[in-house]
Parts: sequence; C-alpha cells; structure tokens
Amino acid sequence: MEDIELQKLWAEIDNKLEQAKLLNLQSWALNLQNKEAQQMAKAQHRLRRVTHFKLWAVVLGIVWAALLLFLVFNHLTWQGIFFNISAGTIAALTILAVVVYIWHIVLLKQVDESNTIAETQQTLARLQSSTIRIAGIGWLQMPFYATFFITPAMLHNAGAAFWVIELTVTGLLTSAAIWLYRNIHYRNMHKKWFKILFSSPEWTQVIKAMEFLQEVDEWKKTEFAG
Amino acid sequence: MSNPPGVNEDFLRLIQQNSGIIYKICYTYCTDRNDREDLAQEIIYQLWKSGKSYDATYKFTTWMYRVALNVAISFSRRRGKASSTISIDGNNIDVEDTAEHVHDREEKIALLQQYIQGLKELDRALMILYLDGKAYSEIAEVTGLTETNVATKISRIKEKMKQKFSGIKK
Repeated sequence: MEDIELQKLWAEIDNKLEQAKLLNLQSWALNLQNKEAQQMAKAQHRLRRVTHFKLWAVVLGIVWAALLLFLVFNHLTWQGIFFNISAGTIAALTILAVVVYIWHIVLLKQVDESNTIAETQQTLARLQSSTIRIAGIGWLQMPFYATFFITPAMLHNAGAAFWVIELTVTGLLTSAAIWLYRNIHYRNMHKKWFKILFSSPEWTQVIKAMEFLQEVDEWKKTEFAG
Repeated sequence: MSNPPGVNEDFLRLIQQNSGIIYKICYTYCTDRNDREDLAQEIIYQLWKSGKSYDATYKFTTWMYRVALNVAISFSRRRGKASSTISIDGNNIDVEDTAEHVHDREEKIALLQQYIQGLKELDRALMILYLDGKAYSEIAEVTGLTETNVATKISRIKEKMKQKFSGIKK
C-alpha cells in the first residue's frame, strides 16, 4: 500500500469522526467559560491530589525530623550518646528524603504539556520514578533503630549474649541497608528480588514509569536507516 | 471558581476549527467511549491552561498537537493499553489478524486504525502526525526528535504496516 493511500484512508477516518460528532467539544469548551466545568476540573483535581500527597509527605517528614532533633537537643548527655547519634542520623536521613521530595514537587510543577513530547514525557516519567530513590534513603535508617536504646552503662553491664545478638542484628541491618541503597536502582528493576520488594500496587505505577523512562530514552536516540 | 482568564472567543474558535485533531487523538488513544470523553475534556482543559504560555511564533496546530498528544500519552499510560477492537460509528469491529475476510474499504480503515492503536504510545503520536500529512520538520518540532530520527522511525513503522496490509491484498 502506497503512502498516499494510507493518508487517504486516514482522511476518511477523519471525516467519519467529524461527521459523527460523538464528542461534544464545543459544549465542553463553553463550559469553561460558564464556570460549570466540573468535569474539566477532574484533570486539575487529579494533578492537585498527587501534589497534595507529596506535600503531606513533606510536612510529616519535617515534623518527624523536628521531633527527633528536639529529643536530641534535650538529651545532650554522655548517657544519651547512642540515642543522639541514632536519632540524629535518622533525622538527617529524613531531611534528605524531604529534600528529594521537594525536588519531586518542583519537577511536578515544571511539567509543561506544551513542550515537545520527548521532553514532557521524560520529565513526567523521571518524576514518577524518582520516588524509588526515597525508598533507598529510607532503608539507610534501618540500623539506627537497633542502636538508639544503648547506653554507656550497658557497655559495662550487659552480658555477652546481649552483645552477640545486638551486634549481629546491627551488622545484618547495616549490610542490608547498604546493599539495598546501592541496588534499588532502575537498572535492577527486572530482577526478581526487586519485583518482590516493590510488588505492592503503589509501586506498580513507579515501576511502569521507570520502564517508560527507558522507552523514552530509547525513542530519543537517533536511528539511521539501513 | 473564577472566570477562566484564557477562555475567549478566539480560544473557542481555534478549538472548533481544529477539533479534528482532538477527535483523531481521542479515537487513536482510547477505544472506550467514556475514556474518549474524559480524554477530550482533559485535552481541552490543558489547552486552556497552557494557552497563557502559547508562543505565537509557533503554528497554533503545532502547539495544539504537542499539548493534545502529551495529554493523550499520559492518559493512555494511566489507563493501560488500548483494546483490540475499534469503534468509529459506535459499533465495535473485531479485526482478525490473518485478515482473510477483509475486503472492503471500511474494513481497511478499521485495520489501519487498529494497527495505529496497537503501536506504542510514542510511535502512535508519530504516525498520527505523519498520516495527518505533517512535514518531518513539523513532526520533529512536536516530538522533540531530530528529523533524521523521525524519518527513520516512520519508515520502519510504515514498512511493518505495509507488510501487514499486504496480507489482505489478495
């Protein structure tokens, strides 16, 4: 089939659609002017809902970090050294996660649908998939939840069994945290452990975004005929 | 809600004049009637919202294609893949892959639309622009690809399409 025939067929589709007038475009456009555009607002609402979710996450993160820092600064004693280091590190990692979240929101606000398809779709997919990096930062907090309750007095008084268990748990959590932080990356998204870890519906969209990001990257690469 | 500042007679006139773009994009990215209506509304909403940043040095249709296709691609990704049935006049036409029974023009049209709907979202955008008779330079402006890349990708998609159509030429 020649190009011209394809375009003729396409033009016929165009005519059919115009004649059918199944979509009441003019009415919807007028609705904007008549302030009755409830359905029009659906799209805006959807975008806002995503933004609000991120904003709430940021607020919660800030409150959690502030609470931890408050406890640290009110507990600046030698006896509280382990607590201070643990809670301070958790607070620092939480702040880092908040900063990444804010970056996420900035990107969301910057999405301009009138940019080129490659640019807009890449920004959207990157934005949707960047949530995975926050998960990586979250895992780094793990070992500090196993150390905050230790006190200097315990160094002298706790029995050997306690320290064997404590060091084993902390060591395992540290290894797991570092490994997860380094490996939670979209290059591993096709691996089984990654799919299991991010199998909940909330993550499905993020995984799809990562796959789409790869697709856009591939699409943008210049190909040469032949 | 206050009166939308971007909505005026010009906006409505331009939407009306170019409504064919919205129709085609909605039908190519959605097979379900309700989805098509949702998508059309989202496109109009985004056109209105982006209207304030419209740069008059661009052709209006180039800008409109960008907004409409971006909205459609995002919409399609949220809703999942298009189904394998096509609806133009409100009737679903099931097209068999072997296409032995495809004889008349109506069915050829259905097959063309099904083929386009079966493409990945990004390639679908390319083919809509190509079949609408846009020059490679304009397609490049809408997609953000180089002209060379546009030409190569379209050539490959067309080649596959022709192979598919050649099966029904008997």
